[in-house]
Amino acid sequence: MRKRVIVDYSDRKWVPFWQRAKETKLNRSKAGNGLLFGLMFICGIFMALPLVMIINNALKPLDELFQYPPKIIVRNPTLENFTDLFVLMSDSWVPFSRYIINTIIITVGGMVGHVIVASMAAYPLAKHRFPGRNLLFNMVILSMMFSWTVTQIPQYLIISLLKINNTYLALILPAWSFGMGLYLMKQFMEQLPDSLMESAKMDGAGEFRIFWTIIMPNVKPAWLTLAIFQFQHMWGNTGGTFLRDEELKPLQYALQQIVQGGAARAGAGAAVTFVIAAVPITFFLVAQSNIMETMTTSGMKE
Amino acid sequence: MRKRKLSLSQKRTVNGYLFILPWLIGFIIFYIRSIILSAEFTLSELTVGAVGGYELKFVGLENFIYAFREHGTFKQVLTTSVFDMIIDLPLIIFFSLFMAILLNRQFKGRTLVRMIFFLPVILNSSAISDALELSQQMMAGGISAGSSQMAAEATSAGVDVGYYIGLFTDLAMPETVLDYLVAAVSRINSIITASGVQIVIFLAALQSIPGSMYEVAKIEGATAYETFWKVTFPMVMPHIITNVVYTVIDGFADSQVVTLAYDTAFTDFNYGLSSVFSLVSTAVTCLILVLIVGYIQKRTFYYN
Repeated sequence: MRKRVIVDYSDRKWVPFWQRAKETKLNRSKAGNGLLFGLMFICGIFMALPLVMIINNALKPLDELFQYPPKIIVRNPTLENFTDLFVLMSDSWVPFSRYIINTIIITVGGMVGHVIVASMAAYPLAKHRFPGRNLLFNMVILSMMFSWTVTQIPQYLIISLLKINNTYLALILPAWSFGMGLYLMKQFMEQLPDSLMESAKMDGAGEFRIFWTIIMPNVKPAWLTLAIFQFQHMWGNTGGTFLRDEELKPLQYALQQIVQGGAARAGAGAAVTFVIAAVPITFFLVAQSNIMETMTTSGMKE
Repeated sequence: MRKRKLSLSQKRTVNGYLFILPWLIGFIIFYIRSIILSAEFTLSELTVGAVGGYELKFVGLENFIYAFREHGTFKQVLTTSVFDMIIDLPLIIFFSLFMAILLNRQFKGRTLVRMIFFLPVILNSSAISDALELSQQMMAGGISAGSSQMAAEATSAGVDVGYYIGLFTDLAMPETVLDYLVAAVSRINSIITASGVQIVIFLAALQSIPGSMYEVAKIEGATAYETFWKVTFPMVMPHIITNVVYTVIDGFADSQVVTLAYDTAFTDFNYGLSSVFSLVSTAVTCLILVLIVGYIQKRTFYYN
């Protein structure tokens, strides 16, 4: 019989899976590990291919871009496309930095506001009992089912009625009260033990303090996830019908204009696609690596 | 004058609403009102005025009657959308839970692998898909006939599908077999790409399971299989509901019904009919969700 060694997981380091099987892995064989790895690898390839293509396209010289049948991997990588893009940027109608500032305002405003407002609303819905609670929550779910692509006309009417048309607020404010964030936050807050808040209350913390210093740190994975979604959502916004002035348009719009230049701007277009994809990916990587294990019940003895 | 003292439950209500207030104001202004406005559109005929305004003429249930009795494709499109979603839903949920559990394990380059699985969500934005489609068209030798459709197919997988389809046709593969294979493969891809958000939600759910539970299971001598069914699965259960709700909503958001409603509004300028389409599809989604979530909720374990 094989001797089982108890492994202390508190300071566990990464061990390659072929060595790991010798330790106390009770039910996992080498074959199983290999199978899982293979499955993940295949699925991963499916998902990573577009990104590989975007990166390679950005580095391809023009003649390779138009090649048929296309090659995924670049043969003679150049940075020509990026220099083309910079040239195009520097003679745009309004200074290009303007677009970048607009995007930062809209994305950060929409993301931070939504995370705070939605979490605040989710807290009482998850943890307090009061009249009208269920009605409110059902309303949120119902609103999420509505297909918003079709309600562009009513939305436009409301925004012009509020006279925030053609300002940043036309994009930022509706993003704050989106239903999805509230729903996500509520589901996660519901799982926190009540005793955590009760002990805080006994120590004399007010409701807001409980929310800010007890609840929010404990649902960090949830709100970081929400921030990722919202960042992606706001970043992809082109301003659409709500922003008319060129000085208010976000970066996404300017880049889309370049792409729509067609075959003549194919090189710059490939570089643009790379830039558009790279920023949310970077944000995702930073946010994901910040999601640490939160110990909900640490410091609690029942 | 003595200030009226609030009872504990009243205080709690006031506190609760204070927290909800900022969100609620925006929600009522931007979302509830546009739902009400489009409900109004369903019952009327909308004509756009010359100076930018619009006029509503009340026509009763005419739009509904037209949609169900006379409209050529609406009923068929609605049923296909519903069936597609019902087939995809369990596949997406199980695939994403499985992937989340794999990605939650400790291994080097974990963040990178997670990023790869979140990619479809990021690459879904309109600007990127426009650009990708364009580059596909350029590769296919300019905007020649049929190439845009092929390019659209090709972008969905990120590889040139049309090229391989052509290759198999040249190899004299029977057309029915080929059609089935293409449909099956394209479904796999749509399931994988539709699970990005769900994987991230499940990951966050797995992260919020207290580690002490696993320690207890280990001390009690539970096997990995038992640990999954007795600890992981019950603790993730509430988020299975979250993901079901998200999947259904997301699936309907770019289903054929919504495309139909969008085209009716912005190509045919028939806002009333388009609002009927979206209202009916909302009602159907709602019904499906109530049935599924009601079924799962009975079997859900809540930590408190």
